Amino acid sequence: MNPQPEIVLVDDEEMVLTSVSALLMLETECNVHTFLSPAEAIRHLETHPVDLVVSDYLMPQMNGIQLLAKSKELQPEAARVLLTGHADKGSAIQAINAVGLYHYLEKPWENAQLLMIVNSAVERTQLLRQVQAMISDLDNAHDSLKDIQTRLIKAFL
Amino acid sequence: MEPAAATEFELERLRAQVAALSKDAVLAQLAAGVIHEINTPIASIFSNIDVMERSLEAIEAQLGAGGPPKALALLKMMRNLVQVDRMACQRISGVIRGLKLHARGEEEGLCPAHLNQLVEDSILLVGSEYKRRIAFITDLGDLPPVECNPQLIGQALLNLLVNAAQAIEAEGQVTVRTAVEGDQVLISIADTGTGMTDEVKQKIFHTAFSTKALGVGTGLGLPLTYRIITEQHRGTITFTSELGRGTTFEIRIPITTKEP
Ligand SMILES: Nc1ncnc2c1ncn2[C@@H]1O[C@H](COP(=O)(O)OP(=O)(O)O)[C@@H](O)[C@H]1O
Ligand SMILES: [Mg+2]
Repeated sequence: MNPQPEIVLVDDEEMVLTSVSALLMLETECNVHTFLSPAEAIRHLETHPVDLVVSDYLMPQMNGIQLLAKSKELQPEAARVLLTGHADKGSAIQAINAVGLYHYLEKPWENAQLLMIVNSAVERTQLLRQVQAMISDLDNAHDSLKDIQTRLIKAFL
Repeated sequence: MEPAAATEFELERLRAQVAALSKDAVLAQLAAGVIHEINTPIASIFSNIDVMERSLEAIEAQLGAGGPPKALALLKMMRNLVQVDRMACQRISGVIRGLKLHARGEEEGLCPAHLNQLVEDSILLVGSEYKRRIAFITDLGDLPPVECNPQLIGQALLNLLVNAAQAIEAEGQVTVRTAVEGDQVLISIADTGTGMTDEVKQKIFHTAFSTKALGVGTGLGLPLTYRIITEQHRGTITFTSELGRGTTFEIRIPITTKEP
């Protein structure tokens, strides 16, 4: 019914990308796009609607919070999850409120927990999109009602 | 000892302490780097082990009980290997968690922590040096999360465990027990070591008091542990000791600590 969920996964370590995408391929219906560089991930986000962005924190050119902030700007409804190493915990937590994280996970992560977060994040984004669509349908309906109303009124004047 | 010799000895001890402290600081820094470096590969391996297990299950389900016997046997073998890998990984990450408690990282404040996990990780760390001659036995009760600074409690546990192990000359046992006592938790660490004379008992919490050889003892472990437990956690630390039989330390900390 829903289109295949789209996930963007960003980590500067190839092995993390491989491990997480293998898990998601096995256990979900999601289409996973992996990126070693935040800049490339942003380029993808500029042109493709996605349901969820999962990002590492410490990366060379740009940290995960900066990336997720950019993602929020480009696609506010896409859920954002930070997957961080232990050492960056403090600084990461401080920045969490700034970008409105859906969830925060520490490495090593539990696959069962990651799956739960991914599934509920995707579901939330898709619901959000449906609600948005319904609201704009309502708006349209409202507009045409108004239209009819004005025409009716005109007809009687 | 002659006064001059005594001063000489004190000076020597002081020098050793300074050296030990700065070595500790350097090592803690190094450990933080090493831990960070190991953490990602371990995370990846853990995840892969889980995915392989899930995949093997899926393949087994596809083949069904009537599948080719050789293939089924290989699958079973792979499942066993995956389980061994998982246990191996758990052991590595337990040691890493133990080291994390002592690495120079961001200081954590009070937070709800699982003391039994802390006890197990600390034993894993100390055990790696002593397990050939000392049996570490645990009797861990059902504990609620305890509001504490895990890094500091880990340090206190490590001091007590190392002292217990060092008090045992040849072979022996260290038994660690945890339990709830009213609104406190108890952690007791009992060893079958040398025990202490009455004179030693009087002084063990004094800064720089040590009966150990230079280079082994600094006399800083117990005073630090005392401060961690009584000042930083509003707890208590007590001990009983019998020469030739062994020593038991008991620490009690409130389950919820009011900020001191
Ligand atoms: N479990 C124990 N059994 C016997 N003696 C102990 C034990 N724990 C501590 N002590 C005594 O207390 C002294 C001070 O301990 P501590 O402050 O940890 O310093 P250190 O271990 O560097 O000597 C030790 O030197 C030892 O004499
Ligand atoms: Mg000591």
